[in-house]
Amino acid sequence: MRVWQPGGHLTQRRDAPEIDDWSWARTARRISTLASLTRPYKGRTMLAIVSLLLATATALAPPFLAKLAVDDGIRERDLDTLTWIVIAFVGAGVASFLTAAAQTYFTGWTGERILADLRNKLFRHLQRLSLGYFERNRAGVIISRLTNDVDALDQLVTDGVTTLVQSTLLLFGTAIILFLFDWRLALAALSVMPLMAIATALFRVRSSRAYRDVRERLGLVTATLAEDIGGIRVVQSFRREGRNQRHFEEVNAHYREANQQTVVLNGLYFPFVDFLSALATAVVIGYGGWLASQGEISVGTLLAFVLYLANFFDPVQQLSQLYNTFLAAVAALDKIMEVIDEEPEVRDNPDARDLERIHGDVRFDGVRFGYGNLPEVLHGIDLDVPAGTTVALVGHTGAGKSTIAKLLARFYDPRKGRITIDGTDLRDVKQGSLRRQLGVVPQEGFLFAGTVRDNIAFGRPDATSEQVASAARAVGAHQFILGLEDGYETNLQERGTRLSLGQRQLVAFARALLADPRVLILDEATSSVDIGTERKIEEALGKLLSDRTAFVIAHRLSTIRGADLIVVVEQGRVVEQGTHDELMTKQGLYTSLYGDWADVA
Amino acid sequence: MAETPAYRHTFVRLLGFLRPYKWSLAVSIVLAIGAQAAAVVAAFLTGDALEGAVSSDDRRTLWLVALAIAVTGLVRALFMMGRRLIAGRQALGIEYDMRNALYSKLLRLSFGFYDRHQTGQLMSRATVDLQAVRFFLGYGLIFFFQHVTTIVGVTAVMLVTNWRLAVAATAITPLIVILAYRYSSVSHPVLRDVQQKMADVATVAEENIVGVHVVKSFAQERAEAGKFARRSEEVFGRSVEANRQRATYVPLLSFLPLIAQAAVLLFGGRMVANGTLGFGEFIAFNILVVMLVMPLRMLGMWIGQMQRATASGERIFEVMDEAEEITEKPGAVELPPGEGRIRFEHLSFEYAPGRPVLEDVDLELEPGRTVALIGHTGSGKTTLASLIPRFYDATTGRVTVDGADVRDLKLTSLRRKIGIVAQDPFLFSETVFENIAFGAPGATPDDVERAARLAQAHEFIEDLPAGYDTVIGERGITLSGGQRQRLAIARALVMDPRILILDDATASVDATTEAKIRLGLREAMKDRTTIIIAHRLSTIALADELVVLDGGRIAGRGTDAELLRTNPVFREIYEHGLLEREFAERVEARA
Ligand SMILES: Nc1ncnc2c1ncn2[C@@H]1O[C@H](COP(=O)(O)OP(=O)(O)OP(=O)(O)O)[C@@H](O)[C@H]1O
Ligand SMILES: Nc1ncnc2c1ncn2[C@@H]1O[C@H](COP(=O)(O)OP(=O)(O)OP(=O)(O)O)[C@@H](O)[C@H]1O
Ligand SMILES: [Mg+2]
Ligand SMILES: [Mg+2]
Repeated sequence: MRVWQPGGHLTQRRDAPEIDDWSWARTARRISTLASLTRPYKGRTMLAIVSLLLATATALAPPFLAKLAVDDGIRERDLDTLTWIVIAFVGAGVASFLTAAAQTYFTGWTGERILADLRNKLFRHLQRLSLGYFERNRAGVIISRLTNDVDALDQLVTDGVTTLVQSTLLLFGTAIILFLFDWRLALAALSVMPLMAIATALFRVRSSRAYRDVRERLGLVTATLAEDIGGIRVVQSFRREGRNQRHFEEVNAHYREANQQTVVLNGLYFPFVDFLSALATAVVIGYGGWLASQGEISVGTLLAFVLYLANFFDPVQQLSQLYNTFLAAVAALDKIMEVIDEEPEVRDNPDARDLERIHGDVRFDGVRFGYGNLPEVLHGIDLDVPAGTTVALVGHTGAGKSTIAKLLARFYDPRKGRITIDGTDLRDVKQGSLRRQLGVVPQEGFLFAGTVRDNIAFGRPDATSEQVASAARAVGAHQFILGLEDGYETNLQERGTRLSLGQRQLVAFARALLADPRVLILDEATSSVDIGTERKIEEALGKLLSDRTAFVIAHRLSTIRGADLIVVVEQGRVVEQGTHDELMTKQGLYTSLYGDWADVA
Repeated sequence: MAETPAYRHTFVRLLGFLRPYKWSLAVSIVLAIGAQAAAVVAAFLTGDALEGAVSSDDRRTLWLVALAIAVTGLVRALFMMGRRLIAGRQALGIEYDMRNALYSKLLRLSFGFYDRHQTGQLMSRATVDLQAVRFFLGYGLIFFFQHVTTIVGVTAVMLVTNWRLAVAATAITPLIVILAYRYSSVSHPVLRDVQQKMADVATVAEENIVGVHVVKSFAQERAEAGKFARRSEEVFGRSVEANRQRATYVPLLSFLPLIAQAAVLLFGGRMVANGTLGFGEFIAFNILVVMLVMPLRMLGMWIGQMQRATASGERIFEVMDEAEEITEKPGAVELPPGEGRIRFEHLSFEYAPGRPVLEDVDLELEPGRTVALIGHTGSGKTTLASLIPRFYDATTGRVTVDGADVRDLKLTSLRRKIGIVAQDPFLFSETVFENIAFGAPGATPDDVERAARLAQAHEFIEDLPAGYDTVIGERGITLSGGQRQRLAIARALVMDPRILILDDATASVDATTEAKIRLGLREAMKDRTTIIIAHRLSTIALADELVVLDGGRIAGRGTDAELLRTNPVFREIYEHGLLEREFAERVEARA
């Protein structure tokens, strides 16, 4: 069930995950994480364990019965006994069939259930994390936590655990039975064990390294593919095909080399184990045959030994093969736990309450902020915005306008100072109750694959078609939407590439309006829309905004001029504020900012 | 999964990928059969030994037989080693070749193709599907041969040894093969479903992560979690179904061979008892039957794999066979020397049949001049500009650059001479330097810095933690909107293009910075033909001439003075610009 992850890998750090933390505390956490997931399904888990034990036990019976058949039936020429033993043989098979079926069903069911729960839990947790997390980590990597890593666990949880338990039990069960039959012959048969142990130890060390390389380099292949397909238009515009192809072939070749390692390792190890098993058979035949000819053991015992030996070497091979699955699964589990341990930077206070219907007074008090641990970008912002005000934020690019808007939506918390709405610190209210009353049109508009209607109704999925259409009308999008082949039901491609950029902005704008926000945040919401359309939007908006607070970031003078309050931001500080006319008389940054239009002509 | 001609055709085509490896394939198969033969020999040796153990006390023979078993084991191991090493290498080679081929195809497919296909879908072909094909061509085919020959060979050996017992022992095999086949055919659709549902989960996850700011803005976490959980539950539902099938068939397939063993014990035992079968042969039969178990069980699996690989092959070939809409003609020529004269000749264009986006555009752009393309949102400006570098081909009519139809030109020679700043620029998660030098691989640090200065990007780049060596976030996520746009402008300028296309390149830039960029552009535009798409009068003022697009048609053309009288679209812009100019004048008057 491997599914491609966009860019998954990118992030797999070069110094890939080494699972060397086998401390008891860590291991206990791993186990308890998994165990806690089985808790709701105790009954089925018990059934799975019981049927697993039974299935293993019944699997040990047939060779033993074969021995009885030879010794007591055939050698004694006692055909009735033979018949009964063969019936028992088939009976054991049926029992093994039934228990194996039950075991497969119950472990499979529990395993899949746990994984589905884990996926959902992880997703809900991701949603709680703040924007900062998504900026620090690549999208592809996060997605691969939800899919690839959960999938790596899948192999362990469904097949792995079964194989692990069954092979181990079979291994020890067989050894015990062999010793019970004849300890001398058992010792002789197991004399190849030291060789086997050495080979296996070598194999494990080498192959865990090799598989890590493979995972890492496959990651790079996928990452390269993901980014190159994402940016294919740029690649083609700039005719980088040749270089990209060479680069890709290189990455692909690296991957092949890493894989070649595993082929060599497997190619040496598994035939070697096979050879050891032949060697053990030879020893058993040589020594056992001699014992049998001396009458020390029966021929049936000898046959049972030969048959049981397969029981013995198969599990060793399976366990060796499982070892890589196991390492991959533990690595995946560690990475998943890392995400689950991640705490959102923006957290609701324990006693946070729902924000009541916003009236609209917004204040920034000495707000200082920087992204992650990067240098500060806002150095003490003070703003007092009475309800119903339309505030225009202006300033040079990179001044910090979008950052202010994102703080108001509480995508980040200030490092110092506070932001209040109607006198309540944003940190004291639940994020959801705040955001449900905001309408945000972010600078990086983002549309979902889906219909135009679904996109506009994103914040209010229960909106009627009439409401959707009237939001679209308010931003002047209704006309062009009707012109699309299926109108509101037209499917927009990934990110809305099927529309012109201006059209995408209009849809994002309509989406914000439909949410009927108390505070509107427009970050260059119409930067790519033509001036005529923008004018119409402004007119329509005039009415809509009359009693709401709005923060508008724009570069067009016409948009800014009408604002009740203009705030000029420069290098993370508010350097001027006032109405258009006030600022005009000041002759400060505002005038110089727009004085550059003088160049028109 | 009937054997339709298409199915067979795909299968044969897949086999075509083996051609470069035909010798290694042949050797692998021989080695695999050799290894199996060694196992048959070992089975008889074991039988002999056990018989010897009962009947004689000739110790020397016993030890010789034991030695022979060890030697056959060694031979077999060597065969297996050789087969694994050769086949493994071959599998990796096939995967490598196919992935490179697919990648180069993806590079050649045109914009139109990418408009229609989701990134995720394409990625899964280059990874998941390719792996399915590799497993089959690399290992599956060899195992398939090995297992078929084992079944046929072992059955033959048993028949020769004792046909009656052989019939008893192998009576059950047709049932096993049928069941195995049935299992693979009922499980295939379910497993494919699981795969598909898993891809859906990944898609929801991807959108929610890349668009996390939108989800949070609208406080839609719960609804999205619900959406995710629904998809996730679908995966669970199908997985449980797959598990149910596994729980039925796999234990059954393990159980049935036991019946064959029981038959050998029962009938073989009787034959030994009444002397019609040697004890050694009896033992050999027991071991031979065990040898049949694995191949029988796996046979169905290989058939299933074959189907899966063919299905995957079909998906891969779908992409490989996709018509390349934009290709160079056989006799494509270099772009002739010139100054960058562009002509659109009675050109119409549609993205989807019957829905024209551009209609009868007839336009000539003089070399070295600057033309501003204006028009309402959705009027077709971006579309018109994208026809010059031939991202799409005109539906009717043609585009010429310096007298040559763009369809007759080598793509590289055309596109290397065109610098484009796209409306929403895509940046790569590489260093700033690499991003700017993207289209000019040989660019020196000086070239890059010069372009950055012209685009007014140098200052803020210097302020980044590592200057030009700062790695920027995916899609430029850690930059402000205006910073991204300026990097994109620098990227186009560093190519030193004959034709420069600026699609709304300064929309997210403030007036001061824009004024500075304009100065830079004035310099950069010298001796180039430039197309500026913009809504701002100040930017438009850079142009020698204006062209107005309206609903995909040319609605006006001329200088601003001319258009002011005749064209409402331009009048809107002009009036708005007037406002700004007045403002500027007032500022100046006061100063
Ligand atoms: N996610 C981020 N991580 C790190 N730095 C960031 C991030 N977003 C913005 N910055 C930096 O913070 C500063 C302010 O950026 P911001 O986006 O607030 O500018 P802006 O005023 O909106 O500019 P523009 O008009 O170009 O959109 C810039 O120097 C930018 O590089
Ligand atoms: N890939 C596409 N597939 C189908 N239709 C498209 C595609 N791209 C654009 N369109 C449609 O073609 C028309 C012209 O789009 P285009 O992007 O050229 O407009 P534009 O003039 O650049 O607008 P804007 O000023 O908003 O950027 C629009 O109606 C748009 O919906
Ligand atoms: Mg911004
Ligand atoms: Mg456009």
